[in-house]
Amino acid sequence: MLKKYPTLLRASWALMLEFRGEIVMWMMSSAIAFVMLLVWLSVAEANNGVVNGFASGDFITYFLISWAMRNLTAVWASWEMDAGIREGRLSPMLLRPMHPVHWDISQNIAEKALRACLVVPVVAVVTLFVPGVRIDWSISTVLAFGLSLVGAWFILFWSDYLTGLFAFWTSQVEAIILTWFGIRLILSGMIAPLAMFPASVQTALYWLPFRYTNSFSVEILTGRISGGELWAGFAIQAAWGLFFFVVSRIVWKIALRNYSAVGA
Amino acid sequence: MVKYIKLLGVFIRASLLTELEYRANFIAQIFLGLLWAVVVWVSVLIFFAHTTTLGGWEYAQVLIVVGMFSLINGLIECMLAPNVKRLIEMVRLGTLDFVLLKPVSSQFMTTLRYTRFNGIGDFSAGVLTIIYAFGQMTYRPSLEAIVQFACVFLMACLTVYSIWVFIATASFWLVKVNNLTELFRSIYDTGRFPITTFQGGVRFFLTYVMPIAFITTFPAQAFLGKLDAATTLTSVAIAAITFIASNRFWNFAIRNYSSASS
Repeated sequence: MLKKYPTLLRASWALMLEFRGEIVMWMMSSAIAFVMLLVWLSVAEANNGVVNGFASGDFITYFLISWAMRNLTAVWASWEMDAGIREGRLSPMLLRPMHPVHWDISQNIAEKALRACLVVPVVAVVTLFVPGVRIDWSISTVLAFGLSLVGAWFILFWSDYLTGLFAFWTSQVEAIILTWFGIRLILSGMIAPLAMFPASVQTALYWLPFRYTNSFSVEILTGRISGGELWAGFAIQAAWGLFFFVVSRIVWKIALRNYSAVGA
Repeated sequence: MVKYIKLLGVFIRASLLTELEYRANFIAQIFLGLLWAVVVWVSVLIFFAHTTTLGGWEYAQVLIVVGMFSLINGLIECMLAPNVKRLIEMVRLGTLDFVLLKPVSSQFMTTLRYTRFNGIGDFSAGVLTIIYAFGQMTYRPSLEAIVQFACVFLMACLTVYSIWVFIATASFWLVKVNNLTELFRSIYDTGRFPITTFQGGVRFFLTYVMPIAFITTFPAQAFLGKLDAATTLTSVAIAAITFIASNRFWNFAIRNYSSASS
């Protein structure tokens, strides 16, 4: 299977280049992080510069990395699945001698490469020129961050794929996708650092998957997490990734057994 | 004028009859609207765990702004976004010609023809939020405040409409105006907070360049009886200027439009 990936990735890269305008547009929808940052800065200013241990620079750093994470882990396989089933495009994909998901994965990787071309310069410029931005650039931290990024993507991709599979049974998948996204937006730390939530919510979020799709990686790169906590975090992240992977595999098998295609 | 109001009534009735055919979608849209209102509400609530005022506004007062944000967002998703989407298709396919032949204003006909249920949940959530916010306050708006609110709110609707006419008109040159609607949505996201939360250049931009302040903050302020006469008059001026300018821009585009079908 891995031998097919170079070809798949080349085709995906060519496809994604065609969508470069759209990709910039999708990135714009993550501008809410910037809006929330401005409000936190204004709250910090009104409270002698510090809110709950976060100074202005900490807020900028947090939202910068959280925004980068959001863009480097964006997934949309569920939308493709929904449209593919509704328009009958899934059927020819099933006839190919490989699982259709490999096409989704390779497209996602190619799109991530394209997004990185915009995300990396923004992070570099802000880190260099905005005072107060503190990122822990030590090798071990960066490696841990990279690993957590892959883990976050893994949870997001397979949970998104799972929501897409509902398209085999209902035409209202869009509502399911957006509900999952809305919950994720709040609970993963994309609109506010999780440290700002009430303690009870934080305890619950420690065990739920959401933190491990965004906030966890930010905490690593800002040096707010280390040692045993770090390993525990990786363990929970891996468990959730495995959970969504296995469940979506099972649901896929059940779905295919009952599937009668549009146009058949 | 009366003819146009009657026509709008016919358009809305016809669209809603079509929409009612898709009941599952209707329920899903209401659910999503309410869910999204909760997301917006939490994104504001989180600040009040660490501060008592936001830009000088208390929690219940900010909720009025949040309500205005959801309400107008609902109107946009119901009445404006579906039409812009359709206009893009019409320009691409050349079917816009049929609209241009009709004996009514082409701008009216293209920008208000279809109403969808997409924003019905946001709209209802906005109204509920405003009612809830007043329940949390001892303040009751005087008749004067209500009249002032009605005026500023109407001007807000007109301003939003005009901004969307600008976006729609751009589709004559840019086939993908999705970028512009997405850009507008990102900027509009700031409207859930009172304008005083933002400082310096950002506040100036959101007041005079992209007048989000006149769409959510100032109507809420009028409701609270705290809007001065000067700002009220400015809201009328801004609505008038954007409306006339967008109409001019539309007519200019139509004059220079050579159809895809001819």
